[in-house]
Amino acid sequence: MNEQRRQILQMLAEGKITADEAERLIDAIEREQPESPPGSALRPKPRPKYLRVVMNSEDNVGADGPTRINVRVPLQLLRAGVRLTSLIPPQALTQVNAKLHESGVPIDLTQLKPQHIEDLIEQLDDLTVDLDDPGTKMQVFCE
Amino acid sequence: MIPHLVTYRQRRHDGRWLRVYVPVLPVVLLLSPLLLLAVLGGVVACLIFGVSPVGALRGAGRLLWALPGARFEIEQGRMAVLVSVR
Repeated sequence: MNEQRRQILQMLAEGKITADEAERLIDAIEREQPESPPGSALRPKPRPKYLRVVMNSEDNVGADGPTRINVRVPLQLLRAGVRLTSLIPPQALTQVNAKLHESGVPIDLTQLKPQHIEDLIEQLDDLTVDLDDPGTKMQVFCE
Repeated sequence: MIPHLVTYRQRRHDGRWLRVYVPVLPVVLLLSPLLLLAVLGGVVACLIFGVSPVGALRGAGRLLWALPGARFEIEQGRMAVLVSVR
């Protein structure tokens, strides 16, 4: 066990941080310092299973305190969701296309195949979005 | 694997937590007559709107199977809501 991990567990035991915060800190350490036992260089990187969206905002505009959002969505759920798009009847897609054109969004949804969306989700594995604003921090990543 | 337990937690204004644990399988069994009606209604709706009922059932099943591991946590000031599916 390395020193940083020991300190986090110590803070957890002392009640200075919550179990969720400890988990996040340990995850962050593991991302920064991936363990590399001998022979692991050739091992393929484990596939991420979840899409995480984390937001911490200290802004108090119109609210009674800081805002924190932590969402974890299984990538399998995204895949299952996009497969449902193949069930949309063609006439409904035509109507949606017409409304999109009226709104100035020239996207032809009939050209969007489920395979394309699945490819998009496959590539989400490497996605990392970090938004830093004074008082607000947002992260989108796969884990 | 279908979800086993859905946890709902809500922090009240006095700081106390309301915790609701929903065991999915017993609840599904309890509501199975209503679910059967809902499935029948869904199949009829699929036929009316020209959607494949088999595809819709398969898609709904996939969504259900993929739910374990989902977690939604929103906290604003003293209010906090957490929904977790295991």
